[in-house]
Amino acid sequence: MSGDAERILDEAVRRAGDRIRAALAMRFRDLDRAEEAFAFASLRAVETWSRDGPPRDPAAWLYAVGRRRAFDLGRRATVRQAAVFDVPEPEPDPETLLMAAFEPIPDERLRLIFVCCHPALAPEARIALTLRTLCGLSVARIARAWLTSESAMLQRLTRAKRKIRQAAIRFEIPEPDSWGERLEAVLTTLEIAYAQAYEDAAGAADAADMAGEALRLTGLLADLLPQEPEVLGLAALVRLTEARRPARLDDGGAMIPLSEQDVGVWDRRLIGEAAALMRRAATLGRSGPYQLMAAIHATHAARMETGVTAWGDVVALYDVLLMVRPSAVAQVNRAVALGEAVGPEAGLAALAEVAGIADAERLAGWLPYQAARAGLYGKAGRDAEAAEALRAALKLHPAPAERLFLARRLGALSH
Amino acid sequence: MQYLLIIYSDETIWAPDTRTDPAVLQEISASHMRLAAEMQEKGAMVGGNRLKPTETATTVRTQGGVQSLHDGPYAETREQLAGYYLVEAPDLDAAIGWAKKIPGGPNYAVEVRPIHTM
Repeated sequence: MSGDAERILDEAVRRAGDRIRAALAMRFRDLDRAEEAFAFASLRAVETWSRDGPPRDPAAWLYAVGRRRAFDLGRRATVRQAAVFDVPEPEPDPETLLMAAFEPIPDERLRLIFVCCHPALAPEARIALTLRTLCGLSVARIARAWLTSESAMLQRLTRAKRKIRQAAIRFEIPEPDSWGERLEAVLTTLEIAYAQAYEDAAGAADAADMAGEALRLTGLLADLLPQEPEVLGLAALVRLTEARRPARLDDGGAMIPLSEQDVGVWDRRLIGEAAALMRRAATLGRSGPYQLMAAIHATHAARMETGVTAWGDVVALYDVLLMVRPSAVAQVNRAVALGEAVGPEAGLAALAEVAGIADAERLAGWLPYQAARAGLYGKAGRDAEAAEALRAALKLHPAPAERLFLARRLGALSH
Repeated sequence: MQYLLIIYSDETIWAPDTRTDPAVLQEISASHMRLAAEMQEKGAMVGGNRLKPTETATTVRTQGGVQSLHDGPYAETREQLAGYYLVEAPDLDAAIGWAKKIPGGPNYAVEVRPIHTM
């Protein structure tokens, strides 16, 4: 029976957990109290449901008991401040529970996202706070995915919550005059969260798990803000990139570059979802960096249907992207695309331009740059220079899958 | 003339997990009260506040005319403390809104720090 109760609880949390947590946080304007109240409700659920059988609406039950608990926690804090005595442990009373079943749980997830991703919080704190508060991930799990200790992650979260409280960050959807900046902070947070999950994704379970959360969060945001084309663009971008996960590694665990991946194992469902999101974004008529990046990845995805990559289109899209959001990564990727569209010498010339703009020394110590150089030299048949770039890349701590790939290329050159 | 007297001290002695003797902290607080009373009495007091710790700070940086938000206090580099505004605002966003309107040329920063309330 207790196993049954736990299964029903898991199911309810999976279906409505985000919503319940967000509703509690917004109702009490207190992330800690909401967290504690939700944990209490989950604990009580297993006890009560295994004894009395599950309620008709498990989610409503969790919300009602959580809300009740949060009230009592607040009252106790007030009482304690007045230095009187402790009030007794609350009992969820049947009447409240019955009433709760008829009261819909308000959808406060968007407001909560805006609080957790406030631009006055450091980006890494925003990611941690969103995963903890909205998705309900444990501190240990978030710490593992970000390769940090549990105590360091807990400290980061505690500090962020303290700042929200002490600096009075508002628990509201932002006003029109700050909407752009606030939305951008949300999008950047989710983008970094996904990029981190993607980077380590050499099959590591924790990273793949986080990528799943990024898919869910960007999808949720697209549902909540269907009129924001960049929100749709980011959701599409994450889906297009994630669709290639099954094709990213060979049997030996080495990275397979995008242009050599087997399109047969790309996830068609995710690519279809992305296409629908991009069509909807296009009808809104406001382009932006996320839509452009999604368009670049969609061009790659089209190889699944056509068998070829339209490299000229990829270059053109990077040109536009570099105008709206210049970055060294985009410049390097454009050079690689140019190497395919026109030829390796053209790609190398474009790469030399990156070297001309950016700090040459720092660039030489940057893995994507050395990896791109190696690829272009290799394509041009300039083996000695390719080998030199590969050796330089291998010294820059590539992830295991990329290390295998680069080492294999280097091995092939020396034969 | 009016003068701004700026206090720099180790904020960690006021943290909840402080290792500083409570009697010492009490003495500092009492001294502030005495000083404020004396300033008041002599007609010197215009205003004064205790600030919340630096971890509650947000910095609005303007670089080449472009503004951006940063978590944390202003870390002194080339600029010098030039002035201050004390504003009443319902929340951090409103305070940041005012901070962004403060002029200062192409490169400068404004730190937004909540006032400690009793």
